[in-house]
Amino acid sequence: MSELVQLGAPHDRPRPPRADELNLRFSEQGIHELEALKTHYPDLKSCILPGLWIAQREYGGFLDGAAIAEVAHRLNRSYAEVEGVATFYTMYNTAHKPGKHKLELCTCLSCHLCGSYRLRDYIKSKLGISHGETTEDGLFTMEEVECLDACDRAPLMQVGDQYYGPLDEAKLDALIDQLRNTEGSTVVKMADEIVQVHLRDVERHK
Amino acid sequence: MAERKLILEHAHDPAYRTLDGYLAKGGYEALKKALKMERQAIIDEVKTSGLRGRGGAGFPTWIKWNGIPKEKSDKLHYVLCNADEGEPGTFKDKQIMEQTPYLLIEGMTIAGLATQGDRGYIYIRGEFIDAARSLRNAIDQAYAKGYLGKNILGSGRDFDLFIHLGAGSYECGEESALMSSLMGERGMPRLKFPHAPLPTISGLWDSPTLINNVETYACAPFIIKNGGEWYSTLGASTKNSRGTKIFSVSGHVNNPGNFEIEFGTSLKELLEMAGGVKGGKLKACVPGGSSVPIINAEAVDRAIIGYEEMADVKSMVGSGGCMFLNEHTCIVTFIWRTALFYANESCGKCTPCREGTRWMLQILDRIRQGKGQQGDIELLEEVCSQIDGRSFCGLGDAAAWPVQGAIRVFREEFEYFIANGRSIVTSEPSLVMAP
Ligand code: FES
Repeated sequence: MSELVQLGAPHDRPRPPRADELNLRFSEQGIHELEALKTHYPDLKSCILPGLWIAQREYGGFLDGAAIAEVAHRLNRSYAEVEGVATFYTMYNTAHKPGKHKLELCTCLSCHLCGSYRLRDYIKSKLGISHGETTEDGLFTMEEVECLDACDRAPLMQVGDQYYGPLDEAKLDALIDQLRNTEGSTVVKMADEIVQVHLRDVERHK
Repeated sequence: MAERKLILEHAHDPAYRTLDGYLAKGGYEALKKALKMERQAIIDEVKTSGLRGRGGAGFPTWIKWNGIPKEKSDKLHYVLCNADEGEPGTFKDKQIMEQTPYLLIEGMTIAGLATQGDRGYIYIRGEFIDAARSLRNAIDQAYAKGYLGKNILGSGRDFDLFIHLGAGSYECGEESALMSSLMGERGMPRLKFPHAPLPTISGLWDSPTLINNVETYACAPFIIKNGGEWYSTLGASTKNSRGTKIFSVSGHVNNPGNFEIEFGTSLKELLEMAGGVKGGKLKACVPGGSSVPIINAEAVDRAIIGYEEMADVKSMVGSGGCMFLNEHTCIVTFIWRTALFYANESCGKCTPCREGTRWMLQILDRIRQGKGQQGDIELLEEVCSQIDGRSFCGLGDAAAWPVQGAIRVFREEFEYFIANGRSIVTSEPSLVMAP
């Protein structure tokens, strides 16, 4: 059975914090953005997805129990509801804390045709990680993902808010070197970019 | 036929992504015209044009537009864009949003005029950050210059447009699941007509909602500007497909990319536009995204692109994600990968799809590993028939069709793999594809 199938895989979720443990961590910017987003929809429930993006940024790329609890609290929803939503979507990091950079290698049809499984094996030999694993230094997480819809650039990989392709071993080497020298986490950057595109220029936090 | 570019005509001009550049190329003329038209007249133009939904189903667009209540209650009317492009092999909406964002914005604004829309939402898949950034920029400029927001171009009409990103789920491309997701839920499909009202009556937040694909909205400015009559002359050689369609060509071709063609163009011509097959002879083609049945080289030779015409070769136009496979491709492995995709992406709501996609994957997985058993092909066919038509939404059907199609067209490859424990394809390049 392929390890890519995540259905039924053990999902280690942290225990939700008790009410008296609630420790709100959203920055002033995050609060401002959530307020702006509330004007985009007729109800608070619809803010759950963008709210989770803010949380993913504010909590360093990982939605632990405290992050879910904070979104639930700020949107006046139950913990279980927000947890349920967050765990449905693959881009919210709920299954495990990702490394500083997530290498999301597409192994779907066109990328498969263009040799992406060879690149997967190459990453395994170079960094020692396969699907869902993180390097010991906490720098890289590898994930096999489904079609990223840029198949003209197959084989393709997404890292943070950028697509890279067509890739080969040499380009992968260069990319990994470049990421080693990248200051911030591309996982956090991606969440931030996603929050920003929701907001009009006049709504952004200055 | 050569390419026929409407939507993509100025795609490679960076200025076209700015409001000034768009205006310089005749942008927003359609909106200005539409502002002077009766609502019904706009819908009638769309009807005359023969435009059909470009997301995959090919449903006549005007019927949706016409289905929004003409009398407004106290409920808002929503104009929703399905930009959750997720079909493997398809990347046209991405290019439209990145390079011709104003066509989508203008198209949605026109749709808003025709249906008394108050608010529009563009639901973009979470991975498409570049597309969202381009749209964001375009929307901000449009607001600043009075093309969106209150009192559009002094007409007294209002229309707001919001961007909403998904977070990684193929299922959200299904329209009712997309609405669930936009409303802050797990991206699972909802009951549909006749068991529930149509979205045009009760969609987002129980209000009338018009939902179309990115490319469909992007067609609207051309239809309004030049008239539905004119648009319907494009593709007139086909039975019932009008206008142009963007095909995303990928896989084993020399020049992968998006190609906008008129309906009636042959699949062979499309392959030539993409620079022909790379790395060997043509073996097969999946013409319309991963969900549509695979066809062999002989069928590629005679396939004409049109909603009805593609049925002649037992396949579909689908979303236009066209993948060509060369002779070194093992069809069993390719279909295994397709099945893996659907098993991964099944939302888990209904049993036929949730269980069926996993069973198909398990059977294909053992065949692929050389442990196939006699009767596995029949078992696969049986599972397919238990999914097809029985799943809650179209994802189940879409998972069954490629397997059914592959067994029909390439049965001997499955038989060989089961009997010999290895692929019929043994050439050196095929190893590159081995998982
Ligand atoms: S198959 Fe990899 S981007 Fe589409």
